[in-house]
Amino acid sequence: MSRTGRRLVARLVAALFLSVSLTVRLAAQDSQFSVRGLGVPGRWESVRARTTGGAFGPFDPRSSVADVSLADALQLTATAVEATTYRRAEIGGSRDDLRSSRFPFMSLAGPLSRRFVVGGGFATYLDRTYSIVTRDSQMLRGAYAPYTDRVGSDGAVADLRVAAAARLGSWIAIGAGAHVLSGSSRQTAQRIYDDTTFLGTTQTAVVRYDGFGISGSVALDPVRSVRIVGYARSDNRLRARLGDTETDRVDLPTTLGAALRWSPSPSARVAGTVAWRSWSDAGGFNTTSWSAGAEVGAGPTPFRLGVRGGQLPFGPGTAAPTEFGVTLGTGKSFSGNRALVDLGLERLVRKGGGLTETAWTVLVGLTIRP
Amino acid sequence: MRRAALAAALTALTAATACTEDVTAPGHCPDFCPSGSITGVDTVLQTVVQRDSAFRGFVRPHEARSLLAATLPGVIDGRAIVLLVPVGQRLVVGTGGDTTTGAIVGVDSLRLTVTITRRDTSAHNLTLVYYRLPLDLDSTKTFADLAGAWTTADSLRSLNVDSVYALAGHVDLLRGDSVFVDTLTNRVTVIAKLDSAMAPYVVADSGKAAFGIRVVADSRASIALGSVEAGLGPLLTWFAEADSVAKDTVPRSSTVGVRFDSFVFDLLSPSVDTTLDSTLAVGGMPVARSIMRFALPRLIRDSVQISRATLVLVTARPPEGVPADSFTLSAHGVLADFSAKSPLSPDPSRVATTRVHIGIARGDTVRIEMADILRSWQVDTLAPTTLALRQVPEGTEFPEIRFEPSTNVALAPALHVTYVKRFPFGKP
Repeated sequence: MSRTGRRLVARLVAALFLSVSLTVRLAAQDSQFSVRGLGVPGRWESVRARTTGGAFGPFDPRSSVADVSLADALQLTATAVEATTYRRAEIGGSRDDLRSSRFPFMSLAGPLSRRFVVGGGFATYLDRTYSIVTRDSQMLRGAYAPYTDRVGSDGAVADLRVAAAARLGSWIAIGAGAHVLSGSSRQTAQRIYDDTTFLGTTQTAVVRYDGFGISGSVALDPVRSVRIVGYARSDNRLRARLGDTETDRVDLPTTLGAALRWSPSPSARVAGTVAWRSWSDAGGFNTTSWSAGAEVGAGPTPFRLGVRGGQLPFGPGTAAPTEFGVTLGTGKSFSGNRALVDLGLERLVRKGGGLTETAWTVLVGLTIRP
Repeated sequence: MRRAALAAALTALTAATACTEDVTAPGHCPDFCPSGSITGVDTVLQTVVQRDSAFRGFVRPHEARSLLAATLPGVIDGRAIVLLVPVGQRLVVGTGGDTTTGAIVGVDSLRLTVTITRRDTSAHNLTLVYYRLPLDLDSTKTFADLAGAWTTADSLRSLNVDSVYALAGHVDLLRGDSVFVDTLTNRVTVIAKLDSAMAPYVVADSGKAAFGIRVVADSRASIALGSVEAGLGPLLTWFAEADSVAKDTVPRSSTVGVRFDSFVFDLLSPSVDTTLDSTLAVGGMPVARSIMRFALPRLIRDSVQISRATLVLVTARPPEGVPADSFTLSAHGVLADFSAKSPLSPDPSRVATTRVHIGIARGDTVRIEMADILRSWQVDTLAPTTLALRQVPEGTEFPEIRFEPSTNVALAPALHVTYVKRFPFGKP
C-alpha cells in the first residue's frame, strides 16, 4: 500500500470512529420481540449480502460476519447501509402498523499489503428500540382511576469491530477480529391518568451497555469454484449501567458458523450459510439460522435473491420465535466501479408467542472505493 | 444524464424513507411487555406533620386592605371607623388659575363615598348606618372605647343600599344618595349625603371629621369596605360657602381622603375568641397563621414521582359568618423556617389553595392539593419542608378556622399521597 493510501486509510478510520461516537440510530430492525430479553440481534451484513438472504455474508468483504472475508478487499472500500422498515404486528386480533428508519451498518476495509487486509466498522449487535402502550386502572381514593402507561426504549448495542485477514496461500486465508460492544438506550416510563387531578409522571434514564468479543475465521478453496468458510465468535458479557451503578450483567453467546459458496461461472454464484448461537447463556433460546442465496451477473448491474430462516433468541413461552425471510436486490456501479449503489427489498415474517410480525424493509447501500 | 437522473432518484428515495418513525404499539402483557412495570402507590402518611403551631398578629385591623363591618348576632359585631383629612379653613375662590383663597364660612352639605368590595348578595335591605365618632381615632381604639358613640341616638342616618339601587338611575333625588355597581369588579360605590347638622364644620378643628359605619340587613350582614391600603379608601366631599372679595360668598367643594381607617369589633361568642391554643388557627382578626413542618419519608423526598398529594386537615373550630365570608385557605411554602417570622416563598409552585366555605362543621375535613409543592421540595432538596397555612388575602374576613394539631394523634393533619415508584431501568 502506498503512503497516500495509508494516509487515506487513517483518515477513513478516524471518520468511522467519529461517526460511531455520534448518536447514530444503529438499530438493525425494530421488533416487538425486542421488548423482552436483551433485544433482537442485528445483522452484520452489507446490502449485497443481505439481499442474498445473508448467504453471502461470510464471503463478502463489505460485511462483518466472518473476518476472513476481508482478504478479498483488494482496495480501500467503505460501505454504509440505510434501512427503512414498514412493520405490522398482529396479536390477539389487534393489528398495528409501525415504521422506522435506521443506519444499521458501516464498514471500512483496505489492504496493507498484497496478502494482509485490515478493516473495521460498526454494526448493530442488539436492537433495543420499542415503545409499548398499555391501558389499565388502579383503585385510588375509593374509585378506579384509569391510566395509560407508555414504556419505551430507544437505542441499541453497537458492535465496533477491528479485524484483519491474511491470505496464506491460494487456497487458504484466515481472519481475526476484536469487538467492542458499546451502546445506550434512552428508556422512558410514563403514566398518564385520565383524571387530570392526578398529575402524569415521566421517568427517563439512559442505560449504557458494554462488552467485549473476539472472532476468528478461516476460508478454504478446495477447488477454484468452491469456497468454504468456517467462523466462530465469542462475546464475554453485556453489562448494563445506569449512571455509575451496574444494573445488570448477562453472558453473551458463542457463535459458530459455516458457509459454502459455489461459483459455476464468473457471472453466477450461489451460497448457503448456517450459524448457531448459544443465546441460552444470556437467558434466551439457542438459535440456529440458515440462509441460501444467489447472485447472477458479473457486470455492473447484478441481480441477487435469497431466503433465510431461523430462530430469535428471546420470546415468551418454551419455544423460540421463528423467522423467515425472502430478499431480492440489485446494484449499480458508477465512476469506473469506484462507487456502488445497492438496493434491496426484504420480506420478513416472525412468529412466536401468538405474535405474528411481518415487515417490508427497503435497503439502500452505498460503497465507495476511492 | 442518465446517471444524474439515477442519482437524483436515489437521493429522493433515501430522503423519502429516512427519518420516519412510529414504533409505538399497544402492549400485550406479560408476553410482550418489559419485565419491569410502572407501579403506582396510594397511601396516607398520618404522622408526616410535626411541630405545628399557630401565631397571631400578621395583619392588624388598621393594616387591613378591607374595613370589615358585620352584624352577626351572637357571633360578632364589627364596624368600620374612618378619620378623614381636614378640609382646612380656606378654599380657593379664584377662577382661571387664580389661586386666591377665601375662608370657609359655612357648609351646605357633604358626600361620604365608600366602596363595598364584598357583600352577601342574599342579604336583603342591606343598610349602612353612619355614626359620628370622636376625632381622636387611632389604632388603639377598641369597640368598647367607642361604646358611647354607637348608640342609636348618635347615628347620623342610614342608607338602604338595595332601595337606592332600585331607583331610576340608582339615585335618590330626595335624599341625595346614589349607588353604583361596577359590573366588572362587582364593587358597589355608595355615596351618602350628609347635611351640615350631621357633620358640622368646626373652624377650630379645620374641618376634621370621623365616622363609623355599621351594616345591617334583614338577615345576618357582613361586608367589606375598601380601605386606603387597597387604594379604595373612603372619600368625603365638602360643599362649602367660602368668603370672597368680589361677592359675599361663593359655593366651593373640596374632596378629602382618609387619614386613618380601621375597624373595631365585639366578639359576642366565646367560641370565636382570639386566644390561641394548641389548634391550628388561620384567619380571623388579628390575622392568625399556622406553621406546619413536614417530616417526609426519604422515599417520598427523593425516589418517587408524585401524582397527587392532598393535605387533609380536620376542622377543630369551624368559621362563623355569612356565605360571602367564605375564604381562600392557602398552604404557602416558606423560604426559611423562622417559625412565625418565616418569609413566604414567592415561587407560585409552592402555593396551594382551597376554598373554605362558611357552614362546614367541626370534624369536617378540609383538603388542599399540594402535589406541586411536594414536587418542588423534591427538586430543591435544601428547601425547608415547612408550610404556612394562611388566609388569602389576609385581613379581609372576620371568620377564623382552626384545625386539629399534630398532637391530636387521631385527628392530626395527614398527607394523602399518590405516587409512582422508581421504574426499574436497566433490567432486561
